[in-house]
Amino acid sequence: MIPAISIKNLTKFYRQFKAIEDVSFDVEPGEFFGFLGPNGAGKTTTISVMTGLANYQAGQVHIFGHDVTSDYRKTRALIGLVPQEFNFDPFLTAEQILIFEAGYFGIPSSEAKKRAHELLELFDLWPKRQDGYKRLSGGQKRRLLIARALMHRPKILILDEPTAGVDLELRYRLWEFLRKLNGEGTTIFLTTHYIEEAERLCSRVGVIHQGKMVALDPTETLIRKMSGDQVELYLKKEMTEVPEEIRSVAIALEEKGRKLRFEEKNNAVAEVLKTLHQRGIEIQKIDVRRPTLEDAFMKLINSQMKRG
Amino acid sequence: MRALIGFRTLVWREIVRFLSVFTQTIFPPVVSSFLYIFIFGFSLGQKIQKIHDVPYLWFLIPGLIMMYIIEGSYANSSSSLFISRWANNIEELLVTPLSYFEMVLAILIGGLARTIVIVAGVYLVSLLFVRFPPAHPWVVFYFLIFVSLTFSSLGMIVALFAEEFEHLSIATTFVITPMVFFGGVFHSIAMVPEALKWLTLFNPMFYMVDGMRYGMLGFSDVSISQSMLVIFVLFVILFSLTVYLFHIGFKLRK
Repeated sequence: MIPAISIKNLTKFYRQFKAIEDVSFDVEPGEFFGFLGPNGAGKTTTISVMTGLANYQAGQVHIFGHDVTSDYRKTRALIGLVPQEFNFDPFLTAEQILIFEAGYFGIPSSEAKKRAHELLELFDLWPKRQDGYKRLSGGQKRRLLIARALMHRPKILILDEPTAGVDLELRYRLWEFLRKLNGEGTTIFLTTHYIEEAERLCSRVGVIHQGKMVALDPTETLIRKMSGDQVELYLKKEMTEVPEEIRSVAIALEEKGRKLRFEEKNNAVAEVLKTLHQRGIEIQKIDVRRPTLEDAFMKLINSQMKRG
Repeated sequence: MRALIGFRTLVWREIVRFLSVFTQTIFPPVVSSFLYIFIFGFSLGQKIQKIHDVPYLWFLIPGLIMMYIIEGSYANSSSSLFISRWANNIEELLVTPLSYFEMVLAILIGGLARTIVIVAGVYLVSLLFVRFPPAHPWVVFYFLIFVSLTFSSLGMIVALFAEEFEHLSIATTFVITPMVFFGGVFHSIAMVPEALKWLTLFNPMFYMVDGMRYGMLGFSDVSISQSMLVIFVLFVILFSLTVYLFHIGFKLRK
């Protein structure tokens, strides 16, 4: 099957600065793919290359088999972009913004009007259709950005931090909407700061750090690979220091020596329990927390930082 | 035909843009043309001797129309593109499947539409003072279209190089306006001292004004085919350069 997005050995400079270095990955049709990384890691730059907003110096980028440079008209028709920053036409109303954008994509105006009506209703913007974008609230602008990207019914929807600065209710509604859209077959490529968002939505994630790909796995695999269950033991009596035998597996001693925290891997639980039993330390309560994508992400980025 | 929808939409967007700010884009040239025609042509002009056997007022009108074609098309495309870069809504366009050729041509035709509205306004104002049928209407249209497209291209090029709004008016103040004035809007090359005449021949604006005068009045200082050729060559060069800059994404793509 031809990948929806295929990036091979992509390298991009901003003058002397290497913003992306030899990045490669594929996104399959129908996938919900999360692209994560700290600020300035190269997420938006990668998106800009895919959508025609940035040039690049080396590598190949294909959208459903078409090259984004030589076959740019085909690739751009397949993508809907929801950018991070508002970039609306200041001379148009909300409704015109949608209708004109559809027009640029070759949608006849009668059809564009119909679709604009549907999307304005769907995103609760119908009463605001005659207003210029400056008169919309932050959440309304964000919704208009998404509606604009959907006007030509793209096969791939690329969202760059779609929920940044968005209130909780809207965030949940957007998640629900994106899940539905993905269920209907649209490939979704999402970057986000909210790791929880990626964990809830994305079946697979890629992590980019300082312009290089540092992980590319199904979300669940990445979590498991990077982090075990987090175990917390509440002790009946405080402990002054972590016993030597288990210092390697653990360990953080918290709450004035009443809580022992560690990560479950290589049979650490058995080891710790045995040691505590031998020393006669009794346990009041045990909490086990599943690791999250955030734990995995933090660990990955920290290990990258250490490596320099 | 579906392929042309995008192109037509962008032309229409350009028209909506200049109409939505018509007090800045349409009124000023029409009002100032009234002042020029009334003061220079009608009042002062009566004291000036005939040029090529026509009253000065007749002589002035084609020059003024050419001046507004040049200024109007330059102003339209330069501000439209610069504002799009500045507000970043140029990205709305760059992610669409329109070809670079279509993007550039559509913006130029938007500028042409504004120029046609302005020229119609200036011509109507001139009818208050003097009425004469154009000698060669097709020549008038030729110069209207190609001069407008040429200066719209120049406006787009300057808008790409410009970093601030002021840079757009620098070109108007220091290059376009002086060249238009020296190009003979208000005077004939016959009035220029012999030693400076050859300099006028290097000024492309001279051929535009002279060509428009031929179209409206039927006489010119140099041959009409020469003027037509100069403006056509200039158009091809500037238009190709604009498309090329879009193609390489000069100051458009990161």
